[in-house]
Amino acid sequence: MELFLQRTVDGLSEGSVYALLALGLVIIYRGTGHLNFAHGEMALFCAYAVYQFGEWGIPIGIAVVMGMGVGFLVGATAEVALVRPVARKSAFAVFIVTIGLFQFLNWLDGAIWGGQQLPNTGVGSKQVSYPSLFPAADDDFVTIFGAEITIKSLGTIGLVLVLSAVLFFVFNRTKLGLAMRAVASNADSAKLVGIRTNTVLMFSWGIAAAIGALGGVVTAGNAQSVSQSLMFSVFIYASAAATLGGFDSPLGAVVGGLAIGVIQNLTAGYVEWVGQEMKVGVSFLVIVAVLLVKPSGLFGTAKVERV
Amino acid sequence: MKSLFTIKSGGAASWAMRLAVAAVLAALMLWVPTRGSDSLIEVCTTAFTLMAAALSLNLLLGYAGQISLGHSAFFGIGTYTTAVMVTRWGWSPFHTLPVAFVLAFVVGVLVSLPALRIKGVYLALVTLALGMVFPQFIKWKKLSWLTGGAKGINDTGFKFTKDNPTYEIFGWNPWGNLRGQNVKPFYFWVGAIIVLVVYLICRGVVKSRVGRSLVAIRDNSTAAAVMGVNLPVTKGIVFGLSAAMCALPGSLSAIRTGTVTADTQLLTVAGSITFLVIMVVGGAGSLWGPIIGAAVYQFIIERTGGWTEPDAIPALFRPFFGWSKTAPGGGLFAIALILLMFVAPLGLVGLWRQHSVRLCRVVPKPAGTTTISVMAAAPAAVDETHTA
Repeated sequence: MELFLQRTVDGLSEGSVYALLALGLVIIYRGTGHLNFAHGEMALFCAYAVYQFGEWGIPIGIAVVMGMGVGFLVGATAEVALVRPVARKSAFAVFIVTIGLFQFLNWLDGAIWGGQQLPNTGVGSKQVSYPSLFPAADDDFVTIFGAEITIKSLGTIGLVLVLSAVLFFVFNRTKLGLAMRAVASNADSAKLVGIRTNTVLMFSWGIAAAIGALGGVVTAGNAQSVSQSLMFSVFIYASAAATLGGFDSPLGAVVGGLAIGVIQNLTAGYVEWVGQEMKVGVSFLVIVAVLLVKPSGLFGTAKVERV
Repeated sequence: MKSLFTIKSGGAASWAMRLAVAAVLAALMLWVPTRGSDSLIEVCTTAFTLMAAALSLNLLLGYAGQISLGHSAFFGIGTYTTAVMVTRWGWSPFHTLPVAFVLAFVVGVLVSLPALRIKGVYLALVTLALGMVFPQFIKWKKLSWLTGGAKGINDTGFKFTKDNPTYEIFGWNPWGNLRGQNVKPFYFWVGAIIVLVVYLICRGVVKSRVGRSLVAIRDNSTAAAVMGVNLPVTKGIVFGLSAAMCALPGSLSAIRTGTVTADTQLLTVAGSITFLVIMVVGGAGSLWGPIIGAAVYQFIIERTGGWTEPDAIPALFRPFFGWSKTAPGGGLFAIALILLMFVAPLGLVGLWRQHSVRLCRVVPKPAGTTTISVMAAAPAAVDETHTA
């Protein structure tokens, strides 16, 4: 029982990261109808930036906010400079541009910070390990029903819940949120009633990348280091989460993310032949199954296609 | 647009141009393995590997419009089929090529089943997940009795012994010395043959009825279905064929390198993205696009591969790349990919087609003049039915 509880909480904690990235994917999808394949790499770039801020002696609390600022800039720039002009041509061109951005950002990380894991005393890092947002010493845990649950896990889960509440408030109670929902439901009509759709879309991409940046920092904090391949599998898990929850539902992204985390951790823990290596296989099966059986996901709206 | 020369397709000038291109290609193909340096032969063989893989992706993505980011998995199926059969069951390496072809075909058809319902960017997501799963699947501890787990498999290559015949032609030896001293030209030729086979298959498919239905599916699948294209069968065939062709260069890489691990770059998602980059840079939806793309890609990657220290970079490029801690190749192609979407979505071949008109315009034959034999045969068939 303790083991089950522990694995579930660990799963929720891992799933929180997926939820953060999935939220970004969903916000972008709602705004412009594109799947951003560079989302994980945008988050990784911000995670590297936060490492750099740490090297300059900036405390993690401020560094993470600055990192989210970097994320906002990257996301907004990508939308304005790359995605928007290309989107007039074809959806395939946007796909290629996001793939190009994926490769460019990954290369840029390596070009600026080198190919090795960071922090690394070999290249003169001052930090011992990647800064964690929450206390992560060995004795930082609470015992609930006999299960040892780290403060880090609880903090990560809490972070996602708080962020979801904030986003819910922004989407449903502010002018910007109303504009975003209007653009998502019908961009042309939104334009006709005087909403600056271009600004809204820029903000959508910026906010999405900023949330993704937070996800990247938490991922790197959990792994205690940042490297070029850090976000590949996390991106797949996040996409599985967004697929499961429905690509146009922020609530679905959070629920989907937490669910994917728990499913993965429980199958890897209890089903002996899955093991740690085939965790990504579980995500693959979830993606295929959801797209085949219910393409709109758990909370998404079914798309009606007109010929 | 005014052009300097205007020639007729099928005329003497057009044939002379084709012959000139063919002669240059043939001369290059003979010069590289016999007179080129060892490293040049290596680079060309790697380029052939990439060409064949990008050609197979082009059939699926460029012509049928089905996005796949999982071609590294099909490539890997070829690699591991060869490696396993050679080391575990003692097959001769080249006999495993047909097996890899068939196996990848079956897997490709299986992948096409969900692709019947999943479209566009969602298909990209599913295939991306497939590409991510494949190396993990190979490293899976339940399969390590077969695949060797994370350690991989050694000694998968062709065994060169002193008893091999040398196949000399009047003392001239274009495929190198097969007694184990100089075998690089040999792999060059194997790579060239694989590219030729893949190219001919692609050409055969594209110029046929199936090829036209592929383009119809790409441009408007609903309209294609209404016009009588059998979507499930056509998609299944093209998926299977594309996967099978991608397995061939995979097998070659296992034979050539002699060791196989699941973390080799071309077997991970990075490989899929490399194939995609080559295809798009060269020109999606054209037969020569991937070939030119792979040649350009391998040339630039090779040239810039050592540019990790500022001193190693030629002075002209030092201000641009001196700050970079890694080789600039990947970044250059990422930028090229994005820029091409703005200026030339059909890649280098598209650019050439657009601008070569200024130099020389090839006037195609009037429609209907090429099918004389069919037209001549048709009335006879009608007469037969009349008399019957």
